[in-house]
Amino acid sequence: MTARNPQTLMALPAEENFDFLFKIVLVGDCCTGKTSILQRFKTGNYVEKHGNTIGVDFSMKTIEIESKQVKVANNVGPNPINVAVINSFFWEQLQIWDTAGQERFRTITQSYYRANNGVIIVYDITKRSTFANLQKWIEEVRRYTASNVLIILIGNKCDLEAEREVDFEEARQMCQYIPEILFVMETSAKENTNVEDAFRCLATELKRQHDVSNVQELNEQTVQLGQGKPLKSCSSSCNLT
Amino acid sequence: MGADDEVKIDHLPLSFEIPPENEDERSKRLEIEEKLLENPNKNIPLKELCKLALSDYGLVNDDLRRILWPQLAGVDVHSLERAPTLDELQSHPEYNQVVLDVNRSLKRFPPGIPYEQRIALQDQLTVLILRVINKYPNLRYYQGYHDVAVTFLLVAGEEVAYAIMEQLSTTHFSECMEETMEATQRRLMFMWPVVQFEKPELFEFLQRSSVGTLFALPWYLTWFGHSLNSYKDLVRLYDYFLASPMYTAIFVTAAILLYRADEIVKEDCDMASVHCLLSKLPDDLPFEDILKTSSKLYDKYSLTVIEKKVEELIRLEKEQRQLEEKRKRISRAAASKPSYSASKTWFMKILTPKSVIVTTAISIVVGVCAYYYKNQYLAPGIS
Repeated sequence: MTARNPQTLMALPAEENFDFLFKIVLVGDCCTGKTSILQRFKTGNYVEKHGNTIGVDFSMKTIEIESKQVKVANNVGPNPINVAVINSFFWEQLQIWDTAGQERFRTITQSYYRANNGVIIVYDITKRSTFANLQKWIEEVRRYTASNVLIILIGNKCDLEAEREVDFEEARQMCQYIPEILFVMETSAKENTNVEDAFRCLATELKRQHDVSNVQELNEQTVQLGQGKPLKSCSSSCNLT
Repeated sequence: MGADDEVKIDHLPLSFEIPPENEDERSKRLEIEEKLLENPNKNIPLKELCKLALSDYGLVNDDLRRILWPQLAGVDVHSLERAPTLDELQSHPEYNQVVLDVNRSLKRFPPGIPYEQRIALQDQLTVLILRVINKYPNLRYYQGYHDVAVTFLLVAGEEVAYAIMEQLSTTHFSECMEETMEATQRRLMFMWPVVQFEKPELFEFLQRSSVGTLFALPWYLTWFGHSLNSYKDLVRLYDYFLASPMYTAIFVTAAILLYRADEIVKEDCDMASVHCLLSKLPDDLPFEDILKTSSKLYDKYSLTVIEKKVEELIRLEKEQRQLEEKRKRISRAAASKPSYSASKTWFMKILTPKSVIVTTAISIVVGVCAYYYKNQYLAPGIS
């Protein structure tokens, strides 16, 4: 499924079969390794010195995600509610916008935040300033994305332990104060540590959020707590999850 | 840095391969060489020189470019300033950013270049860039500027490259070097009216995909230096741009879109697919034809007409965005206050012109009936 045309790096037709599509944007200071992380995830290769990104670059990759769904079989009749956990597999296409880190390009890249489902903010664990700037990035993301966007934080270059300037614990603690951030993970695009995992976790969460919001929509049409609705408008297959 | 650093580059390395000179290139080269001999101090009158740079194959090879690029840019090679050392410029606030970008510019150096030589050139590149922004504090460095600078450095050497970059930074690239990229963003939109006038169906497709102009940003900022995979095409384009008025890169962009029109409209009409297709320049673009088209387009459409059209486009875009936001706000309000909105929509549904007329008609009929009833049955009783 991950076959690609090596010339254009465009997905081959097989990639077009997917169940869900999510859009993700990669942001963070210059030279934190955004493009390297994305290249590693997409092609499995690592390029020591990438040219810089001017404006935005775009990539996509389709991955398989396992999803646990709780299904309520039936709640009509004398039987108790049957709850079943169903493991299902989905193909998710991730469309990833890789943005330029230089401050000058911000006004331009901001317009690419809008339609995104997920944001990956990258900092460099060997450079304190990239961590200090996270606050700025988070504010930026808050301002320009939808309120339900999922954010993850990536501390890249964790192979350079000797040059570390940001402790993982510190990043974790910071995340506790920023509720939008789903989790923080340290990666190394160079040694291929956690790169796939980071994208996979985000993809799984995106799918979960998608399910939940679907259910919420359903709920809105069915029962509003405290408001009451005639019984007949509540369908027999009320989704209680 | 070390041996393992030996030019490991992108999936698409820049090809420095120069195929053997063809017959036309040979005659063009001989023509230029003759002109150089004719004129004292190897100076060719600017008008003639521009013509040579614009016409097929441009200035043909790098030996000729070394002599003619400074002339094209209006640089006097006999009064060049001495380059300061890197140490003198280290305190510049942009120093770190420039070094980071220069270190990542491996793609732009010919493969097989000795390590020491490359490092020396990279240092020269850093100095060159910092000198310009040091001298003109109102000009801001942008990522991509080094892609332009390295082209001149490799062809013309440190001092001449600086003089050319100084010249270009205050003219062609001055807009890009402003505090923000807003002016550049607006300038990129100049491609749309040209496409619209030439191929309305292509314009309509691109607008519908909402692809925006960002695919062309690196092209404009680096005169295609960042995006091309063939060194030969790259320097050929630089001949053309040096001899052309400002904003010509926009017309080349439009010419590329027009050339690829059939291919583009076959793509899925969504932002991601179209951006993906457009941002990757095919290796076999017939640049000589594209440059001819570009010159034709430049002569055909005045910048004032284009600008007016762009203003209209910006206004339309703004209106559309506002409309969308309004729609979103309404749907959000509807979602958060279902009971209120439900009663409101119920009321609005009732309040159609038809219902108003029917209600009025019924009331009149009832009134007339009551009057009639009163006259007919109640009146005798009273009297």
